[in-house]
Amino acid sequence: MNSTANEPLTDLTLVAPAHLAKRETELDQKLEKVWQRPNGIVGWLCNTNHKDIGIRYVVTAFVFFGLAGLLAFAMRLQLAVPDNTLLGPDRYNQFFTVHGTTMMFLFAVPVMEGMALYFVPLMVGTRNVAFPRMNLFGYYAFLAGGLMLYGSFALNIGADAGWFAYPPLSGPDFAPGKRVDFWSQMITMTEISALVAAVEIICTVFKQRVPGMSLNRIPLYVWAMVVTAFMIIFAMPAVMMASGLLAMDRLTNVTTHFFNPAEGGDVLLYQHLFWFFGHPEVYIIFIPATGFVSNLIPVFARRPVFGYTPLVLSLIATGFIAFGLWVHHMFATPVPELGKSFFTGASIMIAIPNGVQMFCWIATLWGGKPQFKTPLIWVLGFIFIFMIGGLTGVMLASVPIDRQVHDTFFVVAHFHYVLIGGAVFPLFGAIYYWFPKWTGRFLSESLGRWHFALFFVGFNLTFFPMHILGMHGMTRRVYTYSAETGWGTLNLLASSGAVVMGVAMLLFLANVWKSRRTGETAGSNPWNASTLEWATPSPPPSYNFAQLRTVGSRDPLWIDSPETTALVDGLSTEKREVLTTTLLDAHPDHKYELAEDSIWPFLLALVVGLSFTGLIFHPIAFPLGMGFAYLVFILWFWRGNEPKRASLPHVSEGAAS
Amino acid sequence: MTPSPSSAPRPVINVARLPASALDHRSPIWWGNLLLLFIETTMFALMVAAYFYVRQNYNLWPPPQVNSPFALLRPVPTLSLPLISLAVLTLSAAPMIWADRAALHRREGAVKIAMTLAVIFGGVLIAIRFREFRYLNCRWDDHAYSGIIWTITGMHLLHLIVGTAENLLLTAWLYLHGMDEKHARDVRVGAVYWYWIVGIWWILFGVIFYGPRLWPQGQL
Repeated sequence: MNSTANEPLTDLTLVAPAHLAKRETELDQKLEKVWQRPNGIVGWLCNTNHKDIGIRYVVTAFVFFGLAGLLAFAMRLQLAVPDNTLLGPDRYNQFFTVHGTTMMFLFAVPVMEGMALYFVPLMVGTRNVAFPRMNLFGYYAFLAGGLMLYGSFALNIGADAGWFAYPPLSGPDFAPGKRVDFWSQMITMTEISALVAAVEIICTVFKQRVPGMSLNRIPLYVWAMVVTAFMIIFAMPAVMMASGLLAMDRLTNVTTHFFNPAEGGDVLLYQHLFWFFGHPEVYIIFIPATGFVSNLIPVFARRPVFGYTPLVLSLIATGFIAFGLWVHHMFATPVPELGKSFFTGASIMIAIPNGVQMFCWIATLWGGKPQFKTPLIWVLGFIFIFMIGGLTGVMLASVPIDRQVHDTFFVVAHFHYVLIGGAVFPLFGAIYYWFPKWTGRFLSESLGRWHFALFFVGFNLTFFPMHILGMHGMTRRVYTYSAETGWGTLNLLASSGAVVMGVAMLLFLANVWKSRRTGETAGSNPWNASTLEWATPSPPPSYNFAQLRTVGSRDPLWIDSPETTALVDGLSTEKREVLTTTLLDAHPDHKYELAEDSIWPFLLALVVGLSFTGLIFHPIAFPLGMGFAYLVFILWFWRGNEPKRASLPHVSEGAAS
Repeated sequence: MTPSPSSAPRPVINVARLPASALDHRSPIWWGNLLLLFIETTMFALMVAAYFYVRQNYNLWPPPQVNSPFALLRPVPTLSLPLISLAVLTLSAAPMIWADRAALHRREGAVKIAMTLAVIFGGVLIAIRFREFRYLNCRWDDHAYSGIIWTITGMHLLHLIVGTAENLLLTAWLYLHGMDEKHARDVRVGAVYWYWIVGIWWILFGVIFYGPRLWPQGQL
């Protein structure tokens, strides 16, 4: 296997451009055969291409975004006037619970993962993620979680205890029936999916970067996703445990007492576990968005980013500090006063790394020649709105203010400013920016500007009045209010803003629909950007790059000259092989064969999804599910390892003639 | 700003002679396994945190056992069988270390024997563990204390079952198809998983069985 001692394992040759072009055509043909996507419906279920899985995540997440948006719209209609009877209290409870749950678990996290699963492998210059089949399994697990939530909602047994489902309200005494159980199993499924994607992202970035992309040359978006992935790994187990223990408390024949005060249990334990996940979750949504911003600003400012190292350190610092803030969601509970002071301090401390990022972005724009295309406009909108959300965040982090406005519409306004401003605005920017890479066509600029303008105005109309309503004492999660409260005008204003936002979203849909077919065609690098995803055609071929390349700087497409930056050749054209490189310096290390397309991930997700659904009704589903999952896993392992192609002795593909 | 194409020759690195696998931390799957263990360790750490959190709610820890026919004032978990199983679990690392080292040196015969031993150890351990629940001296649905120690013990048993099932599958493959580079790597990655199962139980065992003995709460 290894070559004889002392002989170098790689060699460097100089190749004339004519030969390179010939070699590239030859590689294109051969690689297309090895990496081509399988056909038909079964093939669709088996497809492990990271780009297709990424797009599926994004599209599915946007479908959930649309559904949850419709629920929000219905809630705004209900609250538009006092004493409205459009939605009754029970339906309203289901609507806000499913809305919040969807936005957090079925939209915000998966859409960010989908973007990363598409772009991270391209940006580090490899052919696919590290474990393509696990990746496919992750998508189906997410889909199964979404179907659980909406299946139960469609049967009018939707979750109704809020997106954080606090016991005792969600416990067996106050929430009989199966509503909360569907919620908690949905959590398990979607968190499995998030964890799978996190492992994929870290392993791909750690081991599959192109030669030369040392840690200090990784694109900032990729850094942001690595930090996010580590946060997912340490945060998501907490919510799985919280919802799992809740499900055990609720399940007949199990009936543990974790959250039952009569038997020594503690409802605050649930809140601690939930927010130990829940606060990092905010940053799990926000950090990918800052990655978009750090990636987009240099392109549209036409200069390399200002302060690469402080930006990376800020991301990492934010990731750490985010785990020390969770109690600020619990200021209205009897946690020790000293603890509250500590968490107030930590909450204010996290403004430091975020401030550093903000200043680096402003400095980049300041020192460049900004081109105000739609993606940059969304980023500027983000800076404005997130600033307001950050300011109310600092207010809420102080105990006295929090005690005043806790569980009022002030909090609703705050977190919509943070989440929509901090995540959805950059996400739209990223979509306008990368749409040409997905489809080969631009989204329409003029429709994009209308989309932004209406969304921006509609957003502020909807959510700004909520600050005031909260200070006037309107609590969140009330299905109606009486006319004497005097809240009618501001509520009507908020509801009219929702209409404007709805129109903006329709414009966006129309833009995507139209531009996919008739948009202006884009070349491989239409924005003249600097990162590797633009070094391959739009849309990229199934294998991403015919010849891998090396990088010698942070902005390879701007700075590296072809005469000195080597290409990489010699990966197999007979099987799906990728190059692994060393963790720190990205020296070529060894070659690694990726798994073929397969139906087993789908079947495993099916078995796991069915057993978690069964677990809502009887504990026997657990051992049964384990048994079936093991069977599927045996077949996965066995069939996956049998050689499919004639295993030729591994002939080296000559670099060039 | 894109450098214009030029007619000058371009350097090309040929990686064809690089090895087609790595048996250690250079392999992506080794990292995948490590990250899985981060996830699992976080989960157990949170369970231990939950254990100590509910402890604050009791005047006597462990809480007196009044639901069973034999009322116990201080029902600390019994040590006898659990200590034996801890010893067996620790010993089970030996065949795994053997398999690990043999895989590194590609000694297929030794790997097969060591893996068979590891599977046998796993089976014995699982059998003991199912009996071990009654040594906790409570039912899972008695109170919050019993719930959390049953959950910790049960989740560790679950990992033991998964690890053994994985070893069984891999061993069967080795006997039927022999050991190539890829499966030598799988043996080594599986060994890391097993070391973790052994190591984490030392901590969890200490919390469940010795915690209430060394630091009992409340006055008798």
